[in-house]
Amino acid sequence: MSALTFTLKSPAQQRIDLSPLTPDKLAGKSIADIGAILLQSGKTKLRTDEVFAISGDDSNGIVFDNANHKLDYIGSGMKSGKITINGGAGSYLGFQMKKGEIILNGDADAFAASGMADGFIHIKGNVGDFLGAAYFGERKGMKGGTVLVTGNAGERAGDQMRRGLILIEGNVGAYCASRMLAGTIGILGNTGEYLGYGMRRGTLLVTKTPDLHATIQDCGTHTLPFLNLMFKSFAALPSKFSKINQNRVQRYAGDLANDGKGEILVLQ
Amino acid sequence: MLTKLTGGRIYDPAHQIDGKIMDIYIRDGRIVERPRADEAIDTEYDIRGKVVMAGAIDMHTHIGGGKVNIARTMLPEDHRGDPVAHNEVCRSGCGHAVPSTLTTGYRYAEMGYTAGFEPALLPVNARQSHLEMADTPIIDKGGYAMIGSDDYFLRMLAAKKDQNAINDYVAWILQASQCIGLKVVNPGGISAFKFNQRWLDVDEQHVHYQITPREILKTLSRAVYELGIAKPLHVHGNNLGVPGNVGTTLKTMDTVEGYPLHLTHIQFHSYGAEGDRKFSSGAAAIAEALNKNKNISADVGQILFGQTVTASGDNMRQFANAGLGSPRKSVIMDIECDAGCGIVPFKYKDENFVNALQWAIGLEIFLLSEDPWRIFLTTDHPNGAPFTTYPHLIRLLMDKNFRNEAFASLNLDAQAMSTLTSIDREYSLYEIAIMTRAGAAKLVGLHDRGHLGIGGAADITVYTDDPDREKMFTTPDYVFKDGELVVRNGKVVKVTWGATHVTRPEFDRSIEKDLKQYFDKYHTMNMENFKVNENEIADGGRGKIIVQEAKGRREKTV
Repeated sequence: MSALTFTLKSPAQQRIDLSPLTPDKLAGKSIADIGAILLQSGKTKLRTDEVFAISGDDSNGIVFDNANHKLDYIGSGMKSGKITINGGAGSYLGFQMKKGEIILNGDADAFAASGMADGFIHIKGNVGDFLGAAYFGERKGMKGGTVLVTGNAGERAGDQMRRGLILIEGNVGAYCASRMLAGTIGILGNTGEYLGYGMRRGTLLVTKTPDLHATIQDCGTHTLPFLNLMFKSFAALPSKFSKINQNRVQRYAGDLANDGKGEILVLQ
Repeated sequence: MLTKLTGGRIYDPAHQIDGKIMDIYIRDGRIVERPRADEAIDTEYDIRGKVVMAGAIDMHTHIGGGKVNIARTMLPEDHRGDPVAHNEVCRSGCGHAVPSTLTTGYRYAEMGYTAGFEPALLPVNARQSHLEMADTPIIDKGGYAMIGSDDYFLRMLAAKKDQNAINDYVAWILQASQCIGLKVVNPGGISAFKFNQRWLDVDEQHVHYQITPREILKTLSRAVYELGIAKPLHVHGNNLGVPGNVGTTLKTMDTVEGYPLHLTHIQFHSYGAEGDRKFSSGAAAIAEALNKNKNISADVGQILFGQTVTASGDNMRQFANAGLGSPRKSVIMDIECDAGCGIVPFKYKDENFVNALQWAIGLEIFLLSEDPWRIFLTTDHPNGAPFTTYPHLIRLLMDKNFRNEAFASLNLDAQAMSTLTSIDREYSLYEIAIMTRAGAAKLVGLHDRGHLGIGGAADITVYTDDPDREKMFTTPDYVFKDGELVVRNGKVVKVTWGATHVTRPEFDRSIEKDLKQYFDKYHTMNMENFKVNENEIADGGRGKIIVQEAKGRREKTV
C-alpha cells in the first residue's frame, strides 16, 4: 500500500477548506469517492479531483504534495493517522485536532493548532500568528498535545492556551502566552514584547532573559528537579530541545494583574 | 387574482370546523366567499386529502430585542455550528438556539408559522427590537411591552397614584413602544435585585419602594382590563425555577382577583420540593388551578433536550442560575434602570434528574389542562428549546406511545417521580389547531388571524396527513401568507415581509407633561426619542402596522 497522495494541480486562486480530507474521514473510500468530495473555496464548492491529482490507497497516511499557503484547515478535527505536507500550509493547520500526527515540511499560516486536543504537529518551517490560540469567540486555546516548530512563530503564540506543549526553536513575536490559562511553552530564540501578558497559570521556558513588563516579578534563582523529568520527556523529539539538560533557572511569576500563578523560567 | 384551494380537510376551531372537506377561495390576501360561477379561477391548488389549518401563531417567542442580540454575540459557537447557505430566494444566516433574524423568519414559515410575538420588549429598547423584527421576514410580529420593574411605574405605585393615572401610563407605554400587550417579569424583582434583594415572593416587600409583587400584578392586570386590551397581562412570575415555587404560582393566580391573567412558561413555575432530592412535579396542582380559574391562561415553556440558551429579563433568577450555564458563561445586566437582562447558555440533558423531570412536568401540564383555549404550545424559545423543535413537541402530545418511549429513556430517578405514563390523553388535530392558531389569535387579540372564516387574512398552512406528526408538522406542503404562496414542501419559495400588530387604547395626553419632566431629570434619552414612530416600522413600505382593536375604557366589572 502506498500513501494516499494529493498533488495540487495549480496554485489555488482562492483559499480552499481541506477539512474533509483527514485520515479518519477518508478511511474505506475509493479514489473516485474521494475525488467527488466537495471542498469549500470562497463562495464556491470545488471537487477534490479538480484541485488535486489523487493517487495511492493508504488513507491512514495522507500526503499533500506541492501544497501552499492557500490550503486551510488541513487535518482539522482529525482523529487518527498521519498527514505529511510538502510545501506550505494555510491557516488553521490541525484545527481542533483530536489525535494523530501532522508533519509539515514548510511554513504554516495563522491559527495553527488552534483548539487542538491531542496529537503531534511538527512544523519544520515558520508559523504565523495565534499558534495554539483560541478560535474567535472561544475562551480556550490549545487543550492538549504537542506542537514542535523548528522555525519562528508569529505574535500571540499560546494565547488562552489551556493545556499541552508548544516548543519553538526559533524566535516568537509579541504577546507570546498572552492570557495563557495553563500548559507549557518552550522558546530557544528571542522573545517579543509583553511576554506572558495577562498570563493566569502555565509555564514558559526560555533561554534568553526577556524584556518583561511591570506586572511580572523576579522570584530569584532556583534549582528545580522537575525540569530533569520534563527534559527527559523531550528526549525522543527530533529537536534541539532533546539536548537540554539543566535545572538551574531564574524564575519570574506573573502576570500579577491576572492571578499571577504563571511562571517564566529562564535557563541559566 | 383569485386562488382556490380545492378539497382540503379544514380544521378551523374559531368556527367549530373539525375536519370538514371544504374549498377555500383567496382574493387580495383575504379569504373570500365562493365566487360566482362565471368568475375565472386564476390558480387552483388540488389539496384533496390534505390537512388545512390557519397559519400558526407563536404567542411567546424571543425573536427581537437586546437580550437576543446579546445571546447571539455571546454564542459564536452556536452560529458556527449551524450555518445556512443562501439560495435563489433566501439570504444566508446561521444559528441553532438564537438564529439570525432572516433565518428565524424562514424557519418559522417553513414550519407553517405565520406570526410570532416577542414577549419581552423593553420600552427603552423598543426601537432595537422593532428593527430586528423588521428584519425577520415572512411572519407577522408584535411585542409585549415589559414594565413592572421600571422606576416611573414603581414610583407611581409607591405614591399610591390613582388607577386611572396608571392606566394612562400603561396606554402611553403601549403607544410609545408600539406594542400589542403588556408583560411583567418577576414583578418588582428585577428592581429589587438592584437593591441587593436576591429573593422576592408575592407578598414580600421591595426594600426601596415598599410595595409587593401582589400590588404590581393587581394594578397592572386591572389596567389592562380597564383599557380594553384583548391580551391579558403576560406574567413571568416570581421565583422562576426554584424548587417549591408552585406555591408562589398559585398565589400569583390569586393576586389578580378575577382579572384576566396569562402565566407564561408555567412549566418553570410548577416545581414542588418533595422527594429525596427536594425537587418534584407541581403539575397536578397547577393544572387543577388552571382548570378551575377561567380567567387564567398559560403557555407551557416546554423544555426539550439539547443545547440552547436562556435569555430573560429576570436578572434576579438568572444571576442565581449563572453557575449552571453550559458552556459556562453568562451576562447579567441592568438596562437603563428600567429593567434587567440575564443570558445563560444551557444544555438540557435527559440523563440529568432535574432536566428530565422538567421535561415531564411540562408535558404533564399540557395533558392535565382540560381547556386547549387557555393553554398554549411554546418552548419559550430559546429558553426551553429552539422553536424548530415544535413539530417534535406536537408529536409528543399527539402520540402516546412515542411519548412513553421517550419517557423510558430518561433519568430513572426522574421517571420514578413522574406520573406521565399514567396519562392516556392524546391531543387531536383540532386541539392542536386551537392551541397554535385559534386560541393564540384570540388571546393576543388578532381579529383577522388564526381562523379561516370569510374576511380573515389568508394565512394558511396545508399539511399532508401523516401518522408521524413530527414529520407532518416539519414540512407543510404549502404555506400561504396574506394569500401569497411562500413555502412549498417545507422550503421557502417567496420572501415577503409581515406586518407588526399593535393596539392603541386611548389615554389622557396631558400625562406627557409629567413624563417629560421625569425624562428630563432622570432618563438617558429624551422623551420624544423614546417613542417609536410608526414611520420607523413602515420602513419605506417594507413593514406596516396593523392596529388591533382595543375595546375602549371600561369600569371595573368583573
